[in-house]
Amino acid sequence: MKSHLFIYGLAIFVRVFLIYSDYREDIADRIEISTPLNSFNRILESYYRMSIGVDPYSSDVLHESPLHLHFYKHLIENTGQYLPLVFVFCDVLTAYLLYLFAKKYIFHLRIEQYVNMNLYLKHLKDQMLKVTDNEAIPLYVTVMYLFNPYIIFNCVACTTTTFLNLCLATFLYGICSGSVIIGSVSLAIATLQSLYPVILISALYLSILKYQKSMLKAVMSVVLCISLLAVFIFSSYCLMKSWNFIPQTYGFILQVSDQQPNIGIYWYFFMEMFEHFKELFIYSYQINVTILYFIPLTIKFRKDPILLGVCFIMLTGIFKSYPSIGDFGFSLALLPVMKYMYNCMQQIFVSIVAIITTTTLAPILWNLWIYWGSANANFFFGTTLAFITAHIFILTDVSFAHSKHDYLLKYGNDRTINGQPAKLVLG
Amino acid sequence: MAVVFILLCYFQISLALHYSDKFTEELVLKPLVQDQIYAHFQFTTIWDVDARSRDCNELHISLTAGLWKYETWGYPILDSAPGAEVWVWFKDDTKDIDTNWKQLTNSLSGLLCASLNQIDNTNSINPDISFAPTGIVSNKVNSSFVRYSTLPREIVCTENLTPWKKLLPCDSKLGLATLLNAGPIHNTRYHSLSIHLRPICRNAECDLSSIELTQSVDLVYDFTILGTRNWSLRKLFGQGIMNSCPLAESSTIYVEVTNNDTNIFHLSPTPDEYLLSTRGGFSGQFAKYIIKERAMTISASYSDNQMYTVNIPPPLHANQYKIGYGQQKGGLVTKIYNNHWAAIDVVVLQNLPWYIPIYLHTLKINSNGTPMKPLKLIYKPGKMREKAHSLELVLRLPAKSTTSIKFYFDYVFLKWQEYPPDANHGFYIGSAIISGHLPLGRNYTGIPQDGSTYASSFNASRKSYFVQIRTEPIVITLPTPDFSMPYNVICLACTVVALAFGPLHNITTKRLVLKINSDNLLTKLKKFGKALFCSKKI
Repeated sequence: MKSHLFIYGLAIFVRVFLIYSDYREDIADRIEISTPLNSFNRILESYYRMSIGVDPYSSDVLHESPLHLHFYKHLIENTGQYLPLVFVFCDVLTAYLLYLFAKKYIFHLRIEQYVNMNLYLKHLKDQMLKVTDNEAIPLYVTVMYLFNPYIIFNCVACTTTTFLNLCLATFLYGICSGSVIIGSVSLAIATLQSLYPVILISALYLSILKYQKSMLKAVMSVVLCISLLAVFIFSSYCLMKSWNFIPQTYGFILQVSDQQPNIGIYWYFFMEMFEHFKELFIYSYQINVTILYFIPLTIKFRKDPILLGVCFIMLTGIFKSYPSIGDFGFSLALLPVMKYMYNCMQQIFVSIVAIITTTTLAPILWNLWIYWGSANANFFFGTTLAFITAHIFILTDVSFAHSKHDYLLKYGNDRTINGQPAKLVLG
Repeated sequence: MAVVFILLCYFQISLALHYSDKFTEELVLKPLVQDQIYAHFQFTTIWDVDARSRDCNELHISLTAGLWKYETWGYPILDSAPGAEVWVWFKDDTKDIDTNWKQLTNSLSGLLCASLNQIDNTNSINPDISFAPTGIVSNKVNSSFVRYSTLPREIVCTENLTPWKKLLPCDSKLGLATLLNAGPIHNTRYHSLSIHLRPICRNAECDLSSIELTQSVDLVYDFTILGTRNWSLRKLFGQGIMNSCPLAESSTIYVEVTNNDTNIFHLSPTPDEYLLSTRGGFSGQFAKYIIKERAMTISASYSDNQMYTVNIPPPLHANQYKIGYGQQKGGLVTKIYNNHWAAIDVVVLQNLPWYIPIYLHTLKINSNGTPMKPLKLIYKPGKMREKAHSLELVLRLPAKSTTSIKFYFDYVFLKWQEYPPDANHGFYIGSAIISGHLPLGRNYTGIPQDGSTYASSFNASRKSYFVQIRTEPIVITLPTPDFSMPYNVICLACTVVALAFGPLHNITTKRLVLKINSDNLLTKLKKFGKALFCSKKI
């Protein structure tokens, strides 16, 4: 308990210290942190425009739903100068929800392993989760979230990704505890904000089915989520009295019309794209992130919907049109729950090193390009490419390790067939 | 098409029709403080035709090279922004203004050989209060019928002057127009061609309307470029006047001699008349020459001992500059100086292209260091690749003050095909326009709204004097991508996507199996070698 208090206290201190330091502005201006979708400056601008009677959706300043805009409006009006503290609070709450989620998840995993004990080989018991993991892994997740520099900077810059992360953490906690309400409400809000979480709906369905053991409830959760989303969008329409927020929110996310650089790969790709091929590539990229992996991964991870959810969160984080480091920080914080299959992962070390290197290189090359004029866009693009590749490696490693770990528990470490050396391959 | 017809109507056909018309030509020469001289040609034609049958009410075009320096030169007779500038008032019953506007600018482009065809909705605005109609209006003024656009990068050259001269009744063969020779005109510090068209009252009761077409050329010569202070028509324009235009009701030359007691020069020949004009509490003296049907020239010779006068800046002037470094975040500052002893109300118009997305919440107005609130703020947000931003501020400038308007914007990243050929030259932001009514006539040279010719500005004291001043245009260099990279970028980005697709496809479609470790690279090579060896043996 003491250590928990210390962790949360220190995390709050670091955030508040940075928020009230002179670095806040510089941090908030970094394109790796603030994208056109989540920048707080744009929220302030929209709020100002609303106050002088200009429709914030008539221009390209705001790409969030009207409901979110009104939520931020209330925040700005009611908290005044303490507004950044709301972000700190949300961040800490996210960490706590992730802690609860990890605890539940490990608990479920251990039960599962206990039930399937007779299927596993005796001498591989050490590959299984231990009692100590019950406490240790959730703590790792908390620490990984609270002291992740990506998350800290994201919170200090007051980006709206903080709220998205809160929604996603609530969603993970909700599906882990089999709660129809928490799961579908948080998913509907997350989808309303950034569209891509919609693919998590299969994780919602499967986990309710798994933990509640009721088809009706699972279908209900999906129906509830979709109808809530419809209600949200319709109430957005009622708030703005027009539909012109749709092209500025979802249309903008899907069409990638602002080429402001970020750490993803879309920006340079569409900046350099030939105009007549643009449509083809936009379609293929959006299909790639939403529909393409939806069914295969759902079928593959049908027995572990939480892992499916985690994979989808990672996947959308990587391939969404305007990723920020807040998204990557969130998926990295989920890695400790996969601790039990670390020994089946091959590229995790290389990936982490690549991530650290590119994270340090990106601001340097950005400055060289934008401020000093001695480098050009290719340098920065190179680092973002490496950064994304590292994250892709982590994602594929996690999904591969899951099958491998399953295999390991069932058939052991023996890699011979009739005495001849053999190799474990996908075939 | 209607628009083309109108223009043809206005400029050529009308002359042949039996409407009564009146043509006057004037040249004003005004020595400016220190070593410059300002020449203003004005050709005014008034047709007694009813203006109500046309699509556009008013049309104002100017093509300008160089920047008018308000601080030292005072106010010009007609203001214009650097580059090309067009503003139009459409009729109240115009259906589709945007299409009409596009057609009009396209036909103007052909008429003047300028790039006005580049004007469309992405660089046009419709300001609410900055541009009031200058002529008569029949109904209530509705600002949705005005369109304004500038092309600050437009270069003005002889190819614009030649078609412009062809619109004159005597072409460039007779009268004052013979002075408009391309060589000397473009050898100036500032030159501006303009065409203004507006409906005016035909009589005092104003029950009938006429159309007034003003064509003017404004030039500022620098004595250092001329090589001497002693100017003459020959030195300024390359030749003297050979003959007067027989179609002109009057053709006159005015030389301002107000400061002749300090800056002494002698005019030869002796002027026909000296005129004294008192306007807004300030008086000026003019020498008047009437052009007759014979060759003439005017020359001025300065006395040897040059006197330096103190420059008193005009009551209202402004400038604009960019702040910030790097290509991520920038700011735009407009500074307005009020040198008058009383407060002046002004309207500031910022005309920003779509690639300058401003953060309006960062708008800060400071007057002599104290924050100030605008009396009115009208913001019409632009849209990416569709519409320009416009911001109008009504300010009450305190007496003897410097007011700065500051806001920040983001540098936008464009698609590689949207950059102009010389991408690193930068992108232009048009001039800010400051409109206001001056309570006094100091440095004021404009023509009153009820007058048509320069002569009507003599002794024309009014309640206030309307000025519209333009600031410098700004160039910003937007960050550029590497233009040689499209294929590489497409390949690299697709490779990264494939890096995710390949393994995920494998994992989801295949299952883990043990396979005998036989065909690694070494064994494959061995097999291959064996096969080679065997085949040779056979």
